[in-house]
Amino acid sequence: MRSLTEEELRTFLSKLAIYCSSNLSELIKSTADDSNDENARMVFRIQGNRVFYMPLRLANLATSIPRASLLSCGTMMGKFTKTGKFRLALTCLSVISPYSRTKIWIKPNGEMPFLYGSNGTDLNRNELKAPFSDSNFLPVVKAHVGKISEDCPEHSGCIVYSMDDTPLGFGVTARSSAEMRKLEPTAIVLFRQADEDTLFTT
Amino acid sequence: MAPTTKGSSKGSSSGGAKGGKPSLSSVSRVSKSSKKNVKRPPPVEVKSKARTEKENLQKKKKRVYTEAELDLPKLNTITPVGVVKPKGKKKGKTFVDDQEGMLTILAIVNAEKEGQIESKMMKARQLEEIREARQKELEARQAVKKNKLEAVKDSIRNNKKGKGGFGKSSEDSAPTSGGSKSAKPKRKSVSFA
Repeated sequence: MRSLTEEELRTFLSKLAIYCSSNLSELIKSTADDSNDENARMVFRIQGNRVFYMPLRLANLATSIPRASLLSCGTMMGKFTKTGKFRLALTCLSVISPYSRTKIWIKPNGEMPFLYGSNGTDLNRNELKAPFSDSNFLPVVKAHVGKISEDCPEHSGCIVYSMDDTPLGFGVTARSSAEMRKLEPTAIVLFRQADEDTLFTT
Repeated sequence: MAPTTKGSSKGSSSGGAKGGKPSLSSVSRVSKSSKKNVKRPPPVEVKSKARTEKENLQKKKKRVYTEAELDLPKLNTITPVGVVKPKGKKKGKTFVDDQEGMLTILAIVNAEKEGQIESKMMKARQLEEIREARQKELEARQAVKKNKLEAVKDSIRNNKKGKGGFGKSSEDSAPTSGGSKSAKPKRKSVSFA
């Protein structure tokens, strides 16, 4: 486990910046337990190709475990692909949701289609369709949107909440919020992301 | 050597005729002796130093030319163009673990992202304006069309009403269709007597 290099950090932060606003710096400044202790500072560490977020104290402890044996430590933020891009994992949701730039709240009747649904890529689509036959398994349709933050542009990163402010996932807006008002109820509003089939595979 | 031989020959001949002139010969002798008496440092043999000598074995520092000084054509060099490793730079990764470094990188990234989003918003707004303007134009055109249609409808209705009373019909039909007024009296009629 090691800290990120400049290039890695840039790639990683630019991905986070899609979903988070400028107050992302709080993520770096924050400490595990409101103390000024250096060891309580939150840091990013890379293990293999995965990036984790943890207090420095934990990172220092983890040095006693051999690299090959260390599976996970702290909160996993995502991983680097072999081409050097960064993919955010769903596990980072709790970390980034307080700093989100654009939010979209979906109604209770849209939660299940969102959580089980897919963007037409799911192999189990037909199996899933039976119990939820009323929904079309579209990413997020306008009919399911409870509210959305104002002035959000097209194709911008967005965090999805249920109506009781529980973060459910993240995605990319298909239309700008101004356009959304004119759409018909079945129109796609948001493409969902972070479908992690390989989240726990090593 | 030449003057000494001359002198000696002279001396021998003159000495033989006049009974000796020691002065001359003595002068020549003195001059000879003075040359001989000059002390010189003993000649020192100058030896050329062998190649295996210590001094010669030490390598002189050759001047190292930089790439720019050599002025080689770029394509013929071994390292391809663009792959120039900076000299004297530390090998390996440079980690960012201090908060300041992280914050500066974050600031750069954020500035880029903000710019992108801003430009996106601007573009969206412009497109929205264009769309609205087009919508308005369309609505205006449709309104004009509708008005025209209404006018025609009205005129037809009035025409129908006008058929009941002669005076009215001639007045009403005049502004809408000028040709119809002139055509009516000319219409051919067939009458059976």
